[in-house]
Amino acid sequence: MVLKAEALSKRLVIKAYHIEKLTLAQETAFKGSTLDLQEKHLSRYISDQPLVSNIEVGILNPGQLQKDVPAVLDVIPIACKALGNLGEGITHVLTGVCAVLTLADTSGKPPAQIGSSAGLLSEKMLTDRAGTPAKSDRIILVQVTLKEGAVYKRQGIMAAHRAADSYLQTIRDQLKNRDSQAYTEKHVYEDQLEPGKTDVLLIKLLPGQGAMHDFLVLPKEPCGVAGSRSIIDLGNMPVFLTPNEYRDGALRALT
Amino acid sequence: MGIGPSTKETTKHHFKDPLMELLGEDNDCRPAGVIVAGIAANYESKEFVIRRLGTWVSALKPDGVLVSMDSWGNSHLDFNLLLEQLSSLKIPAVGLCFEGVQAEPVTLNSSQSKVIDINKSADGRETEVLGENNINSQDARKALAMLKLLKKKQL
Repeated sequence: MVLKAEALSKRLVIKAYHIEKLTLAQETAFKGSTLDLQEKHLSRYISDQPLVSNIEVGILNPGQLQKDVPAVLDVIPIACKALGNLGEGITHVLTGVCAVLTLADTSGKPPAQIGSSAGLLSEKMLTDRAGTPAKSDRIILVQVTLKEGAVYKRQGIMAAHRAADSYLQTIRDQLKNRDSQAYTEKHVYEDQLEPGKTDVLLIKLLPGQGAMHDFLVLPKEPCGVAGSRSIIDLGNMPVFLTPNEYRDGALRALT
Repeated sequence: MGIGPSTKETTKHHFKDPLMELLGEDNDCRPAGVIVAGIAANYESKEFVIRRLGTWVSALKPDGVLVSMDSWGNSHLDFNLLLEQLSSLKIPAVGLCFEGVQAEPVTLNSSQSKVIDINKSADGRETEVLGENNINSQDARKALAMLKLLKKKQL
């Protein structure tokens, strides 16, 4: 590779905080390894999204996937920047828990083209895959309902992701301030040239054709929405990410 | 679902991408970077984007390229154009995408690059089960092993 070593020499530290219990509560807060989740009065998370009709938050504990959902829009890790920008500095991430975002419109229609994951989560979602929750994970179920017909619009899909992101940001804001020494795992990644090693470039081709054929690059928070750019808005043009930017949640799937 | 639930790469998939995890652990290789590009709707844009990808690759001069695609159907045009471009640049490349029996490429890969079918379903179709036909660590290991052999001109 022709890039100079210093061009890529960024260090990313990912600290994991394990969650052993989720509870529904008045306000979102961490209590040790328990995460309280705000259950009611969620309208403020959708007030700036006119296409969103409702948002609900629930909990699924391990073994409780017999839950009927309209369609799984995304599976989202919960992580935040505690220091620095995406791809460098310190990231805090929750383990033992992830968010599952589901979507339908007020008439019950899911956003689907060639098939839909509507049905029981236990039958429509495999666990322990790179893109799905682990069997032992606790799930924060974020269920967004759009106004009728909006599931087929690009703006509708974006609005659902923005609403979920707005809710998850309340968790991230508290995760940023967790005791920097109280982590359960720590991983350090150095982006640097290693003489003698084979340089392998990863090229990812992802859909950029409209609603449910889109993705976001470089959000402010790992795996987030705010601050990102849509690949369609970027004319589908290639975007280079360092390995650490990619590891730090530089992509948000809108597929 | 845009393409289909079983091939859909979620945000968590990108975060825990088996290809990146393997490249980070491998003794012989290291990840040189990730280039993401959109698959456009019309052919002129497809060609334009793939040409720009070719320019990136010829400037970066990596020792090898892994190409993964979360899509099928007309997207195989982009996929095969890119593999042909990499082949003409004499850069070893292995592609990973869903084919099964449902998504046989609309154009054939006429390049020296190799392609791995990431289908896991018994009947080779979109199963509507999230996570079923995604790239897993076994696909990643196979792809990297093929890339190493291509580099040594043993494949």
